[in-house]
Amino acid sequence: MSAIAPPVGTARPPTTAPTAQTPATAPKPPKKVGHDLSTKVLIGLVIALLLLLIGYPLARVLWNAFTADGRQVLSHIFSSDTSNPKVVLRTLILGLTVGSLGTVIGFLIAYAQVRLHYRGKKIVHLLALMPIVSPPFAVATATITLFGRRGLISHGLFGLSISPYGLGGLTFVLALSFFPVAYMNFKGMLEHLDPALDEAAQSLGARKWHIFWTVTLPMLVPGIAGSFLLLFVEAIADLANPLAIGGDYTVLASRAYIAITGEYNLSQGAAYSVVLLFPALLVFLVQRYWVSRKSVVAVTGKPAGKPQLVRSGVGRTVLLIVLGVFVALIVLMYGTVIVGGFIQSLGINNTWTLDNYRFILQGIGSEAMWKTTAMALVATPVAGVLGMLIAWMVVRKLRGSAAGAMDFIGMLGLAVPGVVVGIGYMTAYNKAFVHDGWQFFPALTGGRAIIGGALGIVLVYIIRSMPSGQRSGVAALQQIDPAIDEASTSLGASGLTTFRLITLPLIRPAFLSGLSYSFARSMTTLSPIIFITTPKTKIMTSQIFAEVDAGRFGHAFAYCTILIIIVMAVIGLINLVVRDRSPMANVGLGS
Amino acid sequence: MSSLPTPRTTTGHLQLTGLEKVFATKKGSFRALDRIDLDIAPGEFITLLGPSGCGKTTTLRIIAGFETPTGGDVVLDGDSIVTVTPEKRPMAMVFQSYALFPHMSVWDNVAYGLKLKKLPAADLKEQVESALTSMGLTQMKDRAPSQMSGGQQQRVALARAMVMRPKVLLFDEPLSNLDAKLRVAMRSEIRRLQKRLGITAVYVTHDQDEAMSMSDRIVVMNEGKVEQAASPAEVYRHPASVFVADFIGRANFLKVAQARPEGEGSARVAVLGAEVTTPAAPGATAGPCVLLVRPESVRLAPTDRAAIGGRVGRILSTVFFGESVEYVVESAEGNITAVEADPEVDKILEPGQMVEIGFGHERSWLLPAGGKEAYQD
Repeated sequence: MSAIAPPVGTARPPTTAPTAQTPATAPKPPKKVGHDLSTKVLIGLVIALLLLLIGYPLARVLWNAFTADGRQVLSHIFSSDTSNPKVVLRTLILGLTVGSLGTVIGFLIAYAQVRLHYRGKKIVHLLALMPIVSPPFAVATATITLFGRRGLISHGLFGLSISPYGLGGLTFVLALSFFPVAYMNFKGMLEHLDPALDEAAQSLGARKWHIFWTVTLPMLVPGIAGSFLLLFVEAIADLANPLAIGGDYTVLASRAYIAITGEYNLSQGAAYSVVLLFPALLVFLVQRYWVSRKSVVAVTGKPAGKPQLVRSGVGRTVLLIVLGVFVALIVLMYGTVIVGGFIQSLGINNTWTLDNYRFILQGIGSEAMWKTTAMALVATPVAGVLGMLIAWMVVRKLRGSAAGAMDFIGMLGLAVPGVVVGIGYMTAYNKAFVHDGWQFFPALTGGRAIIGGALGIVLVYIIRSMPSGQRSGVAALQQIDPAIDEASTSLGASGLTTFRLITLPLIRPAFLSGLSYSFARSMTTLSPIIFITTPKTKIMTSQIFAEVDAGRFGHAFAYCTILIIIVMAVIGLINLVVRDRSPMANVGLGS
Repeated sequence: MSSLPTPRTTTGHLQLTGLEKVFATKKGSFRALDRIDLDIAPGEFITLLGPSGCGKTTTLRIIAGFETPTGGDVVLDGDSIVTVTPEKRPMAMVFQSYALFPHMSVWDNVAYGLKLKKLPAADLKEQVESALTSMGLTQMKDRAPSQMSGGQQQRVALARAMVMRPKVLLFDEPLSNLDAKLRVAMRSEIRRLQKRLGITAVYVTHDQDEAMSMSDRIVVMNEGKVEQAASPAEVYRHPASVFVADFIGRANFLKVAQARPEGEGSARVAVLGAEVTTPAAPGATAGPCVLLVRPESVRLAPTDRAAIGGRVGRILSTVFFGESVEYVVESAEGNITAVEADPEVDKILEPGQMVEIGFGHERSWLLPAGGKEAYQD
């Protein structure tokens, strides 16, 4: 298993849908009886925590959006005498273009990975996951350097002077940044397609190309829809890239940011972000509860054979060309980031220098590096355990709508755009909670908050990265026979003990990938953080943004490289430390 | 190939000659098939039977074209088809997992292959509907596979293959995911359809009941080789090897002190302290040999003798099954299993009882003691 989980929200084939192909392996729905005390307390704690982490901030954003200033924005959102309809339209167009392009790229790469035999597959897989571990500005700055007005390739090689700013550049950068979601999604699905289906079609007289169009692709329609919707949400909610490469192409997220940081109008900012919230939530709901139910990919536990490979010359050539272009692009992008860190100003003043790294490792830039890493390291295990706990409650301990509600609230941290989360934290926790002269808890965000606002940032990291663990935990748990839990209980273990001794070890692979992904996500997130950083809590991503904004790409490149190295090192460490060395290590169910 | 529904009894003559399959492994190579020769007559129902890993599925997949043999040839009606791709072979396969297309209705699943043949719409409709009718699926033609039971899905898979009127039907353990009762019903249904359509069938299974009840011929395979290819009765009564005798049905193998040929196909042997004449496999007396006695051929009679020896033994265990009773008897030659059908309840022998062991000599079978050594348990 890869160290990195499929990015959250990937619609793995629904593992619960009992298909007639697997009558014996589909676990029975667990019988849920009254809970023991430890479980009850735990459920209560988790609910309280979720309210604190996402419920209250979200309520505050909504409340702010419906104040006088906010209502004014909301009421004019579709009126043509403001620029608002244009902003909304641009946001939707961006979602459509990125959703389409990213899904196509993800599908092609995944198809080539599963159905093509060639050397260096593992490397291509790792390259495809690079965007997950890299900060949001890496691809954007590299693109500007390579393909910008004075771009090394566009201008230097072809003498062109094209502007990367605007919809085109934004689509390109976002598709390249978010396609791993689609890639992992399709890869899992293609690997789980029963090879006998291809063989059945072939034995009925169908040629490969025909099989692709009549069997493979139709079965992936729900997956295609799911990937598109996920990329759509990611694209419309993204803030970093519209700021870096959007130019005049203002979208809702960047509009909200400008309203708050430029116009100091909190309510207006909240209102813009709430406009963003509704399509994001809608698409998320559709993706999660409709598309996944539509999925027809049968999970047979063990695929009954190897998938058939593409052997025709034309098919191979086309796929290899696509792969080649893709690999070249990714290598170019990250090559530029790495090399750019050692150069004064790539494309303008090409002299070698170590100043950029000196600035980050020893100079004032090092503060952000240490603080970000420390905060992400604090948030990661909390997010990992919380995700698994929620997954366990959803699958095993709660029933019906309670399970559904818990699952949904847990996923909110992901479904809600980062801008909304950021504004929510900014408004909800910037003052101490005082009631009747009693201080319940102090301010969590802002310059005057405890630990310089670091706690607020850690909480944001937790709520943003926890859903990925929750999702892989749910998927893993649904494959484990509930009788195993019941056996533990009947031997005298309480709910919590069972979770610790039985459940957690069994879903260790899911837990591990949840941890890795949580850390990567914490380190690379910007949109919620940018609203709550304080002078005392400098964050790498927002520092990179400042450097990009000031045009100091060298610093930005060096920051990005260091950040990528930190993320990879920590993921490697997590895999080393949490790895089980006992002979039972391989027993755990693969997620 | 022609798509006309002509009588099939003259086509579908499938020959495997010197078929070999060697897989490359990390530690060299693995010989999955070792020179398989098989001549399957038009309209014949043949079963490939054997333990897992014996090469039966590999053989089937080579016939279907999903695997390429490393040596040998597959010949259909006189033409070598070994280089023909699967979709161009006039064969249809029924899969263990059914492999129904989950995004298509029952009707679309069954029509899939005919559409590829570019059949006129009216013909297509008629043929699909007749296939659905013959499998009792007309009511369900608009359902999705996921809305059906395992048995119903199996029928769809069968209809989808049959509607193609292939020259050869291939079955890859198609009944192994069904419950016991349904399996028995489907067996006779498959057999009936195959006979009616006169299509050659190659059926892979590890279930000997299935093989016995459906086949014209059973091919018993072991470690990539054909041990025996013969009718179910022949395989049961006159197994070619100790492996076949042990794999099909239950067997007692009695040590033979001496054996000499006595005329054509029979031999005089000393067993259980007496000399008897028994049918013998060709060449059985040439080397060490054992006498096969099926448990249902063993007769037990109470005796007063107190010592084990010769024909005398002692009952070790008695298990009553209702329609039969099974004894394990300790004898001088090791333990012998005996099964008595339709036992009289008040005459069932108790453990500890001394018995005289007998068996119908014409029912025993002398065969070379090759392969495994200790068969008496």
